Amino acid sequence: MKRALIVALRELKTYLGDKGDLAFSLLLPIATFALIYGAFGGPGLFHGTAFIVNEDTGVYGKQLVENIAAQKSLDVELLARADAETKLERSDLRLVLLIPAGFSDRLRGNQPVQLTFLQRGNGGQEGQIVASIIRGVVSELNQEFQVRGQVEAALAGKGVPQDKITLTVWQFVEREREHPLVGVKEIAAGSKPNMVNQFLPGIITMYVLFSVSISASVIVDERRKGTLERLLTTRLTIGELFLGKFLASVFRGYVQTLILLALAYAVFQIFTPSSFIESLAVALVFAMAASALGLVIAAIARTQDAATWIDVFVTMFMTMLGGTFFEIGGGTILYSLSKLSLNTYANDSFKNLISEGGSITSLGLELAVMGGVIIAGIAVSRFLFKALPQGK
Amino acid sequence: MAELFLVADDLHKSFNDHKAVNGVTFTIARNEIFGLLGPNGAGKTTTIRMLSTVLDPDAGEVKISGFSTREHPNEARALIGVCPQELALYEDLSAFDNLMFFGRLVGMNSREAKAQTMSNLAMMGLETRAKDKVSKFSGGMKRRVNLGIALMGQPKLLFLDEPTVGIDPQSRNKIFETIQGLRQKGMTVLYTTHYMEEADRLCDRIAIMDGGKIVAMDTSRALKANIGDPDKTTLEDVFLKLTGRSLRD
Repeated sequence: MKRALIVALRELKTYLGDKGDLAFSLLLPIATFALIYGAFGGPGLFHGTAFIVNEDTGVYGKQLVENIAAQKSLDVELLARADAETKLERSDLRLVLLIPAGFSDRLRGNQPVQLTFLQRGNGGQEGQIVASIIRGVVSELNQEFQVRGQVEAALAGKGVPQDKITLTVWQFVEREREHPLVGVKEIAAGSKPNMVNQFLPGIITMYVLFSVSISASVIVDERRKGTLERLLTTRLTIGELFLGKFLASVFRGYVQTLILLALAYAVFQIFTPSSFIESLAVALVFAMAASALGLVIAAIARTQDAATWIDVFVTMFMTMLGGTFFEIGGGTILYSLSKLSLNTYANDSFKNLISEGGSITSLGLELAVMGGVIIAGIAVSRFLFKALPQGK
Repeated sequence: MAELFLVADDLHKSFNDHKAVNGVTFTIARNEIFGLLGPNGAGKTTTIRMLSTVLDPDAGEVKISGFSTREHPNEARALIGVCPQELALYEDLSAFDNLMFFGRLVGMNSREAKAQTMSNLAMMGLETRAKDKVSKFSGGMKRRVNLGIALMGQPKLLFLDEPTVGIDPQSRNKIFETIQGLRQKGMTVLYTTHYMEEADRLCDRIAIMDGGKIVAMDTSRALKANIGDPDKTTLEDVFLKLTGRSLRD
């Protein structure tokens, strides 16, 4: 065991000493996570830009622009009218809000005033949504002026100062906004609306599967360097050699998965502390099983090409049949074949923990299968290395 | 009679239909430097691989200090050091790390391995480059690291398979001095080379192999005497006389 650890540490020293390889392997999960976040991690709500021409010079035009800009789903871009018309003409823009000159003066005088949407065609899908949000903002503003007009009319001639009327109206409108009489609540249909929950198990499975590729080349690599024979003339046994390579491959494969899972834990908040630790444990067991499988390839392959091609075949087979990215229905031949894929057990485990809120205690079969692969993989690879021609 | 340290008895090894080694028998006495010469494909490297426990012979037996390599490979391995023909080291590690790694694998603890690593690197003239990656070394320096690794664990029997191939005269001389120094400390050496003058200078006895068999074995002087005046004949003359002048692949 001690010599196996010495072999593993030597392997890790080489891994850590190769700055390029190290940077790539550590950045890969971060890049993958960024892609996942970009694809599934955003707010999932509409976000657009309101293009506005404000020809009003008074405070209410400015206030309207500020109210629109305060909408979380909208950015505001102010344009000159000529610029807006040119862009509309060229179809660079589909919809622009025009606040007319004298907007504030008319409101101050309690006179009706017209806002205009300058639009190309129907304004486009995004334009229609932007217009709808602006209508909501205008409606609130309208409501505020109506209330103020009514209050002022009711208090006319009673000696109430104007600033007190303004403050009272503002407080009233704010209270109405915060506690509307008619509210709207959103309930998403379906029990699993989170895309991250849906895809993360498959992505983690694929990451851990890299351990197969890492360990598939470990013996060929020693042959290429000419060090295999030298190792075999030391007191290192073949079992220790394979165990050392196994430990190093598990570490290398697991580190990437650890980074990915940690980022998912921190950012997506889809784990509880317990489900996170259980997922780490399952990932470790799967990394061990994948590394053991890679060792079998390492024991068979005599050249780098052979190791690569066998690895590609095995990885593809397990990915396609493992239900990593699509469900395989029960009662079919594919379903029976999928039981030959390690991915099936890993994927089921991660789904159980991440998507279904299950516990590691319910993963007896999956863990037993992966444990069996670990033991069988190490034993079989050692046997094949000794038994096959030109192994040593 | 000198104590026999290595006994190779009727060794046979075939790869597919090709008989690489066909009935090789010889012994090496303790503290002897034994040369194994032969043209390319003569079976020297296959013989060394069998003697060093990497390959199992199809037939025959190897005993090192009485331990059969088939029945007691671990005991036999504890006595040997191997410097293979091809460089066998980790170029992405430093010279120090290479020697330390193999030192630990031959059973030394960390402190012993460190002390011997520094000692071996000094012996090879590499102490000032100990922490440099081997990939930055010249061919001669790599050869010296290769030999330094073989000496980790202070083996009793050293297999040197063409240790001086492709290096400058200075590095070759350094390796010679090292081997002669080791012999004075009681080490037994099996040495293969294509350089006849090296074998003439270093070896107590020489076996010449061809076609998987030993075709002659004696002291250098006795081998020369078999074909002419030993003072005027070279070992190369003996070699060509016994193995012919046709080119080998």
